[in-house]
Amino acid sequence: MDFVAPKIALSGIAPEIALAATALLVLLADAFIGDRPRTLRPEHGSARPGSGILGNRWHLPLLSLIGFGAAVYLALDAWDRVDATGATTQFSGMIAVDGFSVFVKITLAVFGALTILLGHEYLVRRDLEEGEFFALVLFSVAGMMLMASSADLIVTFLALETFSIALYVLVGYQRSRLDGQEAAMKYFLLGAFSSTFFLLGIALVFGATGSTNLYGEGGITSFLATTPAADLSLLVLGAGLLIVGLGFKVAAVPFHMWTPDAYQGAPSPVTGFMAAGSKLAGFAALLRLLDVVLFPLRWDWRPLVIGIAVVTMIVGSILAVVQDDIKRMLAYSSIAHAGFVFTAVIATNDRGISGALFYLATYGLTIVGAFAIVAVLGGPEERRTRVNDFRGLFAAHPLLAGILTLLMLSLAGVPITSGFVAKLVVFGAAVEAGYTWVVVVGAIASAIAAFFYLRILVVMYMVDAEVAEEPKAVMGPLSIGVIGLSAAATLVLGLFWSPLIELAEKATFFAGP
Amino acid sequence: MVDTWQLVVFWALFAMMGVSALRVVTSSNVVHAALYLVVTLMGAAALYVLLLAEFVAWVQVLVYVGAIIVLMLFGLMLTRAPIGKGMFDNDQRLVAAVTAGALFGVTTWIIVDAFEGQKITLSKATGIRAESIGDVIFSSFVLPFEVISMLLLAALIGAVVIARRD
Amino acid sequence: MTFAASTLPTDEATFAQLIFGAPLLGAVLLLFFGKRLGKLSGIIGSATVGIAFVFGVLSFMDLTSIATGHGENARVLTKSWFTWIEVGDFNVHMSLVIDQLSIVMVFVITGVGFLIHVYSIGYMSSEENYGRFFAYLNLFIAAMLLLVLGDNLLVMFIGWEGVGLCSYLLIGFWFEDRANATAAKKAFVVNRIGDFSFLLGIFLLAVSAGTLTFAGINESAVSGAIGGSMATVGALLLFGGAAGKSAQIPLYVWLPDAMAGPTPVSALIHAATMVTAGVYMVARTFPLFEAASFDVLLLVAWVGGATAVITAIVAAAEYDIKKILAYSTISQLGYMFLALGVGAYSIAIFHLVTHAFFKALMFLGSGSVMHALDGETDVRRMGGLRKVMPITGWTFMMGWLAICGIVPFSGFFSKDAILAGAWADGQYVLWGLGVATAALTAFYMSRLYLRVFEGGVVMPEGTHAHDAPPTMAAALIPLGILSLAAGALNFPGGLTFEHFLEPVLGEPEVAHGLTAWLLGGAATVVAVGGIAVAWALYLRAGGLQVRDRTERMLGPAVRAARNKLYVDRTYETLILQPGRDLAVFCTEVVDRKIIDGAVNGTGKLVAGSSELLRRLQTGYVRNYAAAFLVGVVVVFSILIVRVAA
Repeated sequence: MDFVAPKIALSGIAPEIALAATALLVLLADAFIGDRPRTLRPEHGSARPGSGILGNRWHLPLLSLIGFGAAVYLALDAWDRVDATGATTQFSGMIAVDGFSVFVKITLAVFGALTILLGHEYLVRRDLEEGEFFALVLFSVAGMMLMASSADLIVTFLALETFSIALYVLVGYQRSRLDGQEAAMKYFLLGAFSSTFFLLGIALVFGATGSTNLYGEGGITSFLATTPAADLSLLVLGAGLLIVGLGFKVAAVPFHMWTPDAYQGAPSPVTGFMAAGSKLAGFAALLRLLDVVLFPLRWDWRPLVIGIAVVTMIVGSILAVVQDDIKRMLAYSSIAHAGFVFTAVIATNDRGISGALFYLATYGLTIVGAFAIVAVLGGPEERRTRVNDFRGLFAAHPLLAGILTLLMLSLAGVPITSGFVAKLVVFGAAVEAGYTWVVVVGAIASAIAAFFYLRILVVMYMVDAEVAEEPKAVMGPLSIGVIGLSAAATLVLGLFWSPLIELAEKATFFAGP
Repeated sequence: MVDTWQLVVFWALFAMMGVSALRVVTSSNVVHAALYLVVTLMGAAALYVLLLAEFVAWVQVLVYVGAIIVLMLFGLMLTRAPIGKGMFDNDQRLVAAVTAGALFGVTTWIIVDAFEGQKITLSKATGIRAESIGDVIFSSFVLPFEVISMLLLAALIGAVVIARRD
Repeated sequence: MTFAASTLPTDEATFAQLIFGAPLLGAVLLLFFGKRLGKLSGIIGSATVGIAFVFGVLSFMDLTSIATGHGENARVLTKSWFTWIEVGDFNVHMSLVIDQLSIVMVFVITGVGFLIHVYSIGYMSSEENYGRFFAYLNLFIAAMLLLVLGDNLLVMFIGWEGVGLCSYLLIGFWFEDRANATAAKKAFVVNRIGDFSFLLGIFLLAVSAGTLTFAGINESAVSGAIGGSMATVGALLLFGGAAGKSAQIPLYVWLPDAMAGPTPVSALIHAATMVTAGVYMVARTFPLFEAASFDVLLLVAWVGGATAVITAIVAAAEYDIKKILAYSTISQLGYMFLALGVGAYSIAIFHLVTHAFFKALMFLGSGSVMHALDGETDVRRMGGLRKVMPITGWTFMMGWLAICGIVPFSGFFSKDAILAGAWADGQYVLWGLGVATAALTAFYMSRLYLRVFEGGVVMPEGTHAHDAPPTMAAALIPLGILSLAAGALNFPGGLTFEHFLEPVLGEPEVAHGLTAWLLGGAATVVAVGGIAVAWALYLRAGGLQVRDRTERMLGPAVRAARNKLYVDRTYETLILQPGRDLAVFCTEVVDRKIIDGAVNGTGKLVAGSSELLRRLQTGYVRNYAAAFLVGVVVVFSILIVRVAA
């Protein structure tokens, strides 16, 4: 066999390259520029005046932000190209360059940038190392981006592992916290466990079709087009295992058990990042796989996914009600939200796909803000995260309480917030596809869910003698900025949402064979 | 001719692997058990060579013998696990035996079911050679290859973060 | 046939957003600066509502200047801000409508609301969180105005949820007291059930009518674009929401408990405005109810009639002054639904208005009494108070005579019109229920009034009753006058309220001529009879013996009434105890978790679902992995069954 040099076109993965390069630069800069933060040990809670919170280590977050900026720029560049010439694949069919992947990449870059901003302040206040944190965030976003544009199951798997490994470490980043260590360990073990199923799924798909490629010559798409339906059982089983593996990442029931522990133990900026980013990446892969590639098999996988959607919505909502810890509560709420997005997946129409994109983008922006608020209120080791610790928040920090109200209402899906619109869009898609009963279940689940969001609100607005310790927000300009941005996005997208949804609709086109 | 020698080597390897595999589970010294495991895995690598799968054989040596077993031994030493006679046993024997037996049975049954009576003639052309794998890795699979490097780098940083002493 | 507001041409409304904006601005201001503003908060809070009222008047003048006639010439004012949802042909605008119906509601809300705000300045003066109280009140007014001004179901729903939330916050305003927190929780849960029904109804109508505007829905109901059965389901779901908010059978149990909140709250939210939202909603969408293939309206009438009688019986046995008024409110709301059910929509709104006046008046009066007697609420420990607090006493008397339906007080006209409407509709049994309720109402209200204000002076020891301070009196007197005179709004041959509402609600069918006189006479006779019985039992010398004898004679009946006809207890045993029902699940979870913020505690009732699931969350990785594996097995089984089939 003669070696044929592959045609290398970097434009498709330029954002990922930019992020990986930035990660390396961050590590280098961390080693050689500025003094290690040993010399500045800010007391927790005393926001030092002036540029204090930026410390003399501002170059690391700045560098990371430039990396995300470059990623967004390169993604937009790719958008212009696919918009003009249509979707293509690159790297011997390993990478799909299409509107879908570009949309997801830009959204992910935004989540990543917000995490950097929050993380910087969080780490400086706790006197933790920053370089590795930023590098890991950058790598994991790069992995998530690859998930979205992967056109080969092998790449999907590697991308999944890349961002997962980074997340395992980020979860346990604050090593003084035992619950963080425990959470990281659990997340890692179960993640490895789920990866084996994902791999087995790839093996079965390969066994059935003779390829792991989605669109290429002899790939899964062309296989499906030429093979009679009766011969597809192995492929269906493989697809089932792929759904299991990705279902783990998006926290779908019954593969959700890690979620509350990991969300609770992780530093809050990381939790927000996980909730926003890992869900988006997982669903990006699921949408491409199920709604596009395995579209011809939808009658086979849909019952399964409907089951997962229904169980996920119900279990997530019910269990959230009994939580006393706000981070665990938000973890279960994120499970329920995964269920809501699944209703868009089963719609298998364009509106479902764009609806899911819109949902995940708005949910991400909201949840990052919510966890930012948890981070500023939680104290150095995030011990003050019980619902009762929020008692009297309104009296202590009225504006913060107001913003948290807005975010909770959005998560509950109350009108004039983005969460409402998002639910409307995904439910609308499912109704259009004829799955009204699933939407009814979703509506019931949201009604149950309203309880726990409102519960936080009620506690916040109480002022009474029982408050042992008033909630105390420790926040600098970066946290305030992220929280404000999240609130603004939640409100603005709840009122004027058509630009974003139109963008998502416009982005709903895929590479093909 | 080749067939005969192949058979001889195969049976020799079989005997070696069988004995060492038994010793892995019967040895009461955990370090000994690990070393017997090395022998078993090396035998498997040799079997691959016998089947003209040189690349898989090297992977077997590098990954299993070179990495996993060494890691295991390090783990044993670093965690100060009980090393020595009689310390290496528990009450899960039966479960382990049943599991292993079932695994063996299923694997055997599947292989027999799939290849019963089939004869596969080996030649240079059918064997999976390192060269063809190299070709694929640096042509159509160049991207996964690069992604793996990123994955490993991320893992490396992660390891540093976890292991670093404050 | 009647026309809906839909078909009417529209003009741009100038003041609609200001009506709603003023109290909203007040709420924001007070929420953030309430503490710093101190006593000024009360004045600011009242002023914003007063301003809203002024804008209401301006809007009314606008409306009457363009809507000079009926039928052809009728017009409405609308104000649209922006398109909120646009999916294909389906769109929802954030828009308000001012027509004859909504302007009446605006007047009630801002007018009565303003008086209650003024009253609260005095009533809440010793309250620590004075600013916050007015912030919530203002927020409530804003939400309620949004509810009635919205020109589509979704805007209404925002207001609907908003008033619910405010009511919840205000009931639990003194949440240090456990009972209040529990009451707030009960109100919350029961309302969620109703709201959920409402939400499903909205969803169904969005799908079947393709629009959410009242105009559009009513139009497609009239034209038959919504099928009869779809209209039935939609109307039932909407009515479910109305029954929750307006405390009708079977969802009325929250309202008596809601009296735990401060008295101005009871007057404003639980008598005059929020609880009438259901009545308003049904009136707004009446063409949908008429289009239903199953006679939903008849169901509405029966639910209303039954609620009216049953809660009147319970009211007759209560001793807590606020609880009596609460049951009386439910009963009067039942009247309104009865009126809606027999097609007398404008009469229902008329009764809503008069009821808002006299019931708010009586609540405020009772507040004044409690204020004077250090929070005493038991009527057995009061007596002859009119001599001690004349303003409260005399104004309360106005309310009493109005609710009893004595000529010429306002209640006579609205109640008489409802009974006449039922008669004209041929619903003689319902008419009978109405008359029975009238008699019972006269009895229990007289029992309350005579005991508290007439006879010899009785006061709890150590209290020094004093009359209402000026701000409170300033609210009582206008309401007293309105209770007396509001009947003139619909005085036969005078200003006709019905006629004013006709462009929106159509012309009600009522009895005429001799029948009308006879019906009115009958109602007056039973009212006077009820008062006489109460007088004989509670005021006349020797009444006590008669009372004892009657009680012995009616033994079980009286006991049943004292126990609220066992409804609460039935709910307890039928729904709460088994603990599998959704309502219970909610109650219990909310009980333990939401309000109390209670800690772990093993749930008895949640055990069925939630605790079981929670127990799976052991914290052990091996258990998680096992659950995962079970999941995989299930997934595989589903798929194998699928591909094998």
